Amino acid sequence: MSFGSPYVTLPDFTYHRPKTLDETIALLKEHGDQAKVMGGGVGLIAFMKERLMSPAHIIDVKGVAELKRVGRAPGKGLTVGAGVSIAELLDGGSLDGYSVLREALERVADPMIRRRATLVGNLCEAIPWVDSPPALISLDSTVEIAGPNGRRTLPVSGFIRGPVDIDLNPDEIVTQVVIPDPKGTMSAFEKFTGGSEFSLASVAVAISNGGRKRTAKVVYGAVNSMPVRCAEAEQALADGVTPASMRKAADVASEKVECVDDVLATAAYRRHLVRVITTKVLRRMMRA
Amino acid sequence: MREIAVKVNGRVRKRLVKDNELLLDFLRERLGVRSVKAACWRGECGLCTVKLDEHLVKSCLVLAVEADGREVKTVEGIPEDGELAPIQKAFVSHGAAQCGFCTPAWILATHELLQANPHPSEAELVEATGGLLCRCGTYNQIREAVAEVAGDGPGQVKESLARA
Repeated sequence: MSFGSPYVTLPDFTYHRPKTLDETIALLKEHGDQAKVMGGGVGLIAFMKERLMSPAHIIDVKGVAELKRVGRAPGKGLTVGAGVSIAELLDGGSLDGYSVLREALERVADPMIRRRATLVGNLCEAIPWVDSPPALISLDSTVEIAGPNGRRTLPVSGFIRGPVDIDLNPDEIVTQVVIPDPKGTMSAFEKFTGGSEFSLASVAVAISNGGRKRTAKVVYGAVNSMPVRCAEAEQALADGVTPASMRKAADVASEKVECVDDVLATAAYRRHLVRVITTKVLRRMMRA
Repeated sequence: MREIAVKVNGRVRKRLVKDNELLLDFLRERLGVRSVKAACWRGECGLCTVKLDEHLVKSCLVLAVEADGREVKTVEGIPEDGELAPIQKAFVSHGAAQCGFCTPAWILATHELLQANPHPSEAELVEATGGLLCRCGTYNQIREAVAEVAGDGPGQVKESLARA
């Protein structure tokens, strides 16, 4: 996070380490908007140093057994609990068939950060340039949320409402992310960082062969304030990845995907990158 | 304030800490372990890297209270019976430290890599130390030091050095 000079200390807070989800929800009910849930803490501690957040209570969920689970079942797909670190997920071998997510997560920051950072935390940060949301959206993933008023499920695409803005009440917690069975889905991820730690543009592609109809999902990250799908590129790939459809998809994405100017890159440069990474990812998929 | 007990380099240390205290501050200020460097404070430079139980973490992104009941290893915990580990000797012989500020973190990270994987490839070395910075730019000397310890095994660090 490079928003400016950080304080080297954290604001005052009370640390809680619940053992169960019920206990976690009771703490959230009691402290509500004064509390923040901590998974790996990577983003949260950085935000607190910047004084972008100063919660009076930190609820560390790494001791909650129910949130430390990774599950994989036919039909249901893959479930990843809020306390599961990215490294644990990668080490566990449960990402077979989920290439787009594995490729996105393998290149998150560095091994020490991946050891701490969680997939759910990465998603909940909803920072425009983080890599997991486009991958999760391309696979039609959902988040499961729990709070004092019960549970609900949302698609990741609707959960992220804007930059650093998610559909989560202060007394709620994302318990897990659910990624549907990848059966018959070919997927891949590509990003361009220009050597910095931030993606300037990323793309997640998932092409499903399930059933009679082929469907493609093409989702871009880091080019706008939140992940953007490109329907035109998806349409171009509806008959599969060929040299012609690859060129078409890259051209149309570069033209249609709305890119922003910011301190990291200009919109024109991002449109160029969209073409480059789209070509790159599709070429790799064509060879696979 | 609450009391925590952390086993640091084999010795249990008990101290009162604040809930909002970083593991980095606990190690440096409460225990005087100054090899753990405070530099960027935001998980970018990796110079505050320590081993927490089984894995390396950046201690500026860990709360001290999270380490309660756990084990921390720093560069001081590497020598056995006062004898420097091979990677430490190799850092000396290859001049892999210039100003020396990042050296404890690099030694810890490369030592842990070599423990887990005695013959790392160049890509594995780059990957394992991707979270560490050396502003003097001694990356080549560090690579040579790792290559020396990795020896002539099936690892590729030495081979890629020959190609370079």
